[in-house]
Amino acid sequence: MGWRTDDELQQMLRDSAIAFLGDAGGPGHFRAVRASETGFDADTWRRMAELGWTGMLLPEKLGGAELGLSAALPLAEELGRALAPEPFVASAIMAGTLLARGAGPVAAALATGLAQGHQSVTLAWQERRGGVGIPAFGTRLAAGRLQGAKVHVPAWHPGSALLVAAQGDDGPVVVAVDPSASGVTLVVARATDGTLTADVVFDDVRVTADAVIVEGDAARVALEHAIARGTVALSAQLEGLAKALWHETLAYMQQRVQFGGALSEFQALRHRMVDLYSQIELAAASWRKAAHCVEEGKLWGPAVPAAKARCSQAAQEMGRWAIQYHGAFGYTDEADVGLYVHCALRWSSWLGGASAHRRAALMAHRGGKGA
Amino acid sequence: MMTQDLNLLSNDAFRARWRDWLEQNYPAEWRIPIIRRLAGDEERRWHRMTYEAGWRAPAWPKQYGGLGLSLEKQLILNEEMERHRCARVLDSGGVLLAPVLMKYGTDAQRSRYLPAILRGEDLWCQGYSEPNAGSDLASLRTSAVRDGEAFLVNGQKIWTTLAGCADRIFVLVRTNKEVKKQAGISFLLADMDTPGLTVRPILNLADEDELCEIFFENVRIPAENLVGALDQGWTVAKALLGDERISNGAPTLPRQAFEVLEQLIETRGLAEDAGVTDRAASLFCDVHDLAALHSQVADAAIRGEVDNAVLGMMKVLATEAFQNISEEILNVIDEDAGLQTPTIGAESPLDLRKIYMIARPSTIYAGASEVQRNIVSNALMGKS
Repeated sequence: MGWRTDDELQQMLRDSAIAFLGDAGGPGHFRAVRASETGFDADTWRRMAELGWTGMLLPEKLGGAELGLSAALPLAEELGRALAPEPFVASAIMAGTLLARGAGPVAAALATGLAQGHQSVTLAWQERRGGVGIPAFGTRLAAGRLQGAKVHVPAWHPGSALLVAAQGDDGPVVVAVDPSASGVTLVVARATDGTLTADVVFDDVRVTADAVIVEGDAARVALEHAIARGTVALSAQLEGLAKALWHETLAYMQQRVQFGGALSEFQALRHRMVDLYSQIELAAASWRKAAHCVEEGKLWGPAVPAAKARCSQAAQEMGRWAIQYHGAFGYTDEADVGLYVHCALRWSSWLGGASAHRRAALMAHRGGKGA
Repeated sequence: MMTQDLNLLSNDAFRARWRDWLEQNYPAEWRIPIIRRLAGDEERRWHRMTYEAGWRAPAWPKQYGGLGLSLEKQLILNEEMERHRCARVLDSGGVLLAPVLMKYGTDAQRSRYLPAILRGEDLWCQGYSEPNAGSDLASLRTSAVRDGEAFLVNGQKIWTTLAGCADRIFVLVRTNKEVKKQAGISFLLADMDTPGLTVRPILNLADEDELCEIFFENVRIPAENLVGALDQGWTVAKALLGDERISNGAPTLPRQAFEVLEQLIETRGLAEDAGVTDRAASLFCDVHDLAALHSQVADAAIRGEVDNAVLGMMKVLATEAFQNISEEILNVIDEDAGLQTPTIGAESPLDLRKIYMIARPSTIYAGASEVQRNIVSNALMGKS
């Protein structure tokens, strides 16, 4: 661990994650979910709920643990290490943040279902592919009718509940929409982490008043927090993934003998491994700083985009050199290294890729100096 | 002299007091970050003024006349000096030699040398590297042979910083050629005006002559100037205090260089240039994340948890970031990079070529990047 430290609660959650994911996570589980039609393992999700993970951010009265982001992040890191395709970030963190701030019986029912692991919940907010930050929504809710389109809705599967961010008459609004309702069209694609994503069109879809989860300024703030928290948690997952892949690669290098020595003894390779490890250390420090900022309500500084940029970059670079140091074997589907690389592709591009976030960090820095 | 125990102040009060003192007392002509380093009489003056005001030797224990400050407060001192854009100070005597004397010196050595270091009367230089012993320092060959009540020293040292204005030198010499190379080294102290000792400055790429060669020709060094036991110099030289190793990985120079880069991007109208923006964004994230790592590692060190591997990594990251930023500084000034003295403009005297050149040796001194990577890889991957 070195300089990295958990508080008591974080350490407890991390220990339970390591114990649970030793059986329930890892490459075998990843392959099974990837091969499944839905890209979602309801049984594992339910067991994560029993551990209190899915309702981590939800109020106790709705069956949640009512904890903050900092408690959730060691879990995210361990889930990344274990290549877990479960929608922890999309559902427990992002949708969970919105539901925790929601009001009304529909919000409460969704929150309870999420905390109990009966379902996962996903948030449709993006209207363009890629980029950083919350756009002005073209999707509109007017007179109880929803019109518009969303792209890249994460963690889609037939049993998931759908939250939609739209522009209402008085500012932004987040509503629950039944995906089987009349006027909803879904185009589903498989992501490289084995999960499904959906592009969704809403054509004059009826939305009742009680389906409004949060609206107005509260909705804007809730969305900002949901996306910032999701970005930090996804960063922690990426760093965990990169670290696991570093160790996986070292283990291979130590047993692979060429030219009379293990690969791990060659200086050129050792120096590269040090540099990759340095990037992972920067990544770990960067998401911890970002988490601290988000918990203090400082969402708009450079910390969050810097963290997502560094963690995305570290995971992708680690993937590149993991394949290289596994040799041709690393290019096979049979080797687990490819699973990490595919997972890193999805996680590093989702919620904004490295170069977009680097620019965002610089702009936040420049903007902040004048303020 | 300030008599109050600074450790009793809250961090905020301590910081405010130091900041006030700097604002009222720090000479304006020294406030040229990155390229300015205090030397000779300037350095003596700095030690004298901090001594008289009760700020000298923050890491030294109180019994030797230091402040005995917590690591946390030492780091606050550094932060405020960066913020005030203070010049760099080497302080080889206070930072490098003093811990050695405290741990291995005799009472006579401590009482003779430490007070003069505190008061800024003695400046010391470090005689370690030799022409054939750089990264592989333990292969050094400057010899010391016992001759009555003295050692007779012959050989050559090189890359000795600020030897030209030093009063004394601490030097590693070979006292035994028959044993493993680390086991035959001793640690000696000498006056720079000892007969047979000559200094030749070396002009470097930043137009400075602070680095020197030192020649020893039958130099007689009193036997009482041996620090620690004979042949134990390799162990003796490893004593360090406080935040030294953390400071080697501090983001100070990269952060200051990045400010220069941002100023240039603005004054040269490049803020909308996509290529410049992309590179600046990448460099900004390097500085930002290094600062995040450095502050979390410092927090761990304050708790007493020191992670040796990450300290070596941070030194490599900080110095390579400094170099990368200094290269981009010359890139954005385009053809002016070919001028002997390109500056930012009338409002700032910063010589941009000098920033670039000062960044060059940072990846060589205090453990070259390649050696650091060897050490870190041994810690992470087992010895090869």
